[in-house]
Amino acid sequence: MQQSRLGSVLILLAVALLWPTVGSALGGDEPGTPTTTTAAAGDVQAYEGTLTEAGEPVEGVTIRVETLEGEEVGAAESGADGRWQIPIAAPGRYRVTIDTETLPDGVDLANPEATTFETDIFAGRPTVVLFALGERVGTGGPSDLERLAQSATNGIKFGLIIAMAAVGLSLIFATTGLINFAHGELVTLGAVIAWFLNARGPRWSLVVASLVSLAICGLFGGALERTVWRPLRVRQVGLFQLFVITIGLSLIIRHVLLIWFGGQRRGYLDYRIQTQWELGPVSITPRDLAIMALSALILVGVATVLQRTRMGKATRAVADNVDLSESSGIDVQRVILVVWIAGAALAAIGGIFLGALESVDWQMGTRLLLLMFAAVILGGLGTAYGAMVGGIIVGLVTEISTIWVPSALKLVFALGAMVLALLVRPQGILGRAERIG
Amino acid sequence: MTTTPLVEARDLVAGYVPGVDILRGCTLELHDGEIVGVIGPNGAGKSTLIKAMFGLLAVRSGSVHFRGEDITVSTPHRLVAKGIGYVPQVANVFPTLTVNENLEMGTYLRPREFRKRVEAVDALFPRIGERRRQRAGSLSGGERQMLAMARALMMDPQVLFLDEPSAGLSPVFQDQVFDRVRDINADGVAIVMVEQNARRCLEIADRGYVLDQGRNAYTGEGRDLLHDPKVIELYLGTLAQAD
Repeated sequence: MQQSRLGSVLILLAVALLWPTVGSALGGDEPGTPTTTTAAAGDVQAYEGTLTEAGEPVEGVTIRVETLEGEEVGAAESGADGRWQIPIAAPGRYRVTIDTETLPDGVDLANPEATTFETDIFAGRPTVVLFALGERVGTGGPSDLERLAQSATNGIKFGLIIAMAAVGLSLIFATTGLINFAHGELVTLGAVIAWFLNARGPRWSLVVASLVSLAICGLFGGALERTVWRPLRVRQVGLFQLFVITIGLSLIIRHVLLIWFGGQRRGYLDYRIQTQWELGPVSITPRDLAIMALSALILVGVATVLQRTRMGKATRAVADNVDLSESSGIDVQRVILVVWIAGAALAAIGGIFLGALESVDWQMGTRLLLLMFAAVILGGLGTAYGAMVGGIIVGLVTEISTIWVPSALKLVFALGAMVLALLVRPQGILGRAERIG
Repeated sequence: MTTTPLVEARDLVAGYVPGVDILRGCTLELHDGEIVGVIGPNGAGKSTLIKAMFGLLAVRSGSVHFRGEDITVSTPHRLVAKGIGYVPQVANVFPTLTVNENLEMGTYLRPREFRKRVEAVDALFPRIGERRRQRAGSLSGGERQMLAMARALMMDPQVLFLDEPSAGLSPVFQDQVFDRVRDINADGVAIVMVEQNARRCLEIADRGYVLDQGRNAYTGEGRDLLHDPKVIELYLGTLAQAD
């Protein structure tokens, strides 16, 4: 069992080399909590903040500070940039109130009850007070149907990204039998490289940075196949050993990214602040809508390639039967190389989109991996279309479950849906039970 | 038999697991226009011989030549390009692909010839022609065998390796398979056929090889082997004797 020892050694090496860096990187870069202070502003303590609504500053709103006994100690109006500041003579606990009468027409507190905060102020440091402004929401909140529509939209958005990332996972499994535990890292890698090209290095526009990133990730996938997986297959290393090696590879890539990128969440420079569009009961930013449309387009493109082109049909043939493909004249190794390149590039696109929707961090792909596996198994192992359908279902189930249960539990629902679906259809939704004889 | 054989396998040694040889020095010759039958008991290495000749299994020693060219370490897809076709015994169609797509995979290396070849193959297997849009996984065992042969013929090969084409089929389908093998051979394709159904195989074979424990046990004309008392006793059984 030389191969299994190799895998174990890889993992131990990765853990031993990289573990000490995890704690320090995480500890050093944690962002501060929003309600407390950030930087020292001279030695005068003050309450301060910025009033914005949907990204726009709100000017001329009065904020008052009084002692807990009700004696006013200061007041200020927000400026053209939405900022306000009230210096306070003595540290202590005060009551900060926003004068809702001075809010411009059409601007209200997101929570009409939250007009007053009681907070402490410390010597020589400003204390930030956040008044959240936004559309006045009805006293009863949105109806269940509206919440369902919004969650379903979020679910499809999330599901399309899972689907894109999972197609590669499914095709790699179908053509080589390999369960690629490092597929989540390809997602992260796509997002991190795009972030570097957009926000740190050459500062290209996100579109250019994304195209370059997915090209790099595609080549990386191809290089992995040529330098790691093909040589191991030629040596007839067992699938379980290969699986363990993917775990080691996942750890290595993840922690190299942690060292390079750091433990914090970061965002792209482009498409950050967006006004929500109201489409019936659903509100969505143009950025998210564009991402959904692009994702759907890419998935349709992948399906068309698989269904209509010579290489696509050959890919499905190799997924069905490697030896028979080889016996039909298909260069199986070349098909597998193409699958790796395309699968890694698709995972990278998923990562780039996820980074734009939420933020980029070193574990984003790892968190997605379980959902990708759920999607692949739910849809039917080894069918690319199954991974697509499975991804969208997993996305929908996780998001819709947040209407009724805390969102921390949403992964449980994705896996629950998978188990239920497999009880009804053991071969997966699009998997087929084959006729024998 | 003074000409160079079309296919010549010399002293092949091969196996699946390291250290265990299934073939222990097998030799086979195939000449233009021939049908060669390979028979023998279970585990004799019949299917292994075909896989080793076709490059699906690494050859440990010995050699395989095609028209005098050494193809011992060639990959199957290169042999397909050279004009050798192979039909496996099981898993011989792509189940999730349609019948038409299965045939397209047959001309993967020369997609432009698809239209021309599919007509020729349709004529040989009309039943397959009727089911072109159907998924291959929904075909019966006999239909799959026909599709598998049709797929292998799409490249218009000079040589066809058939691995137990009649296995698991009803007698009616078995008859059809052997008829088709004869038709294909009549079109000029030389055939190596491994068969469990030794009697039927030797009836249509020009020559036959009897394998035992990875070695050649007997070689001869098909009809001669059919009536050789030692072969009858060992491999054909009493049913053949009663014939």
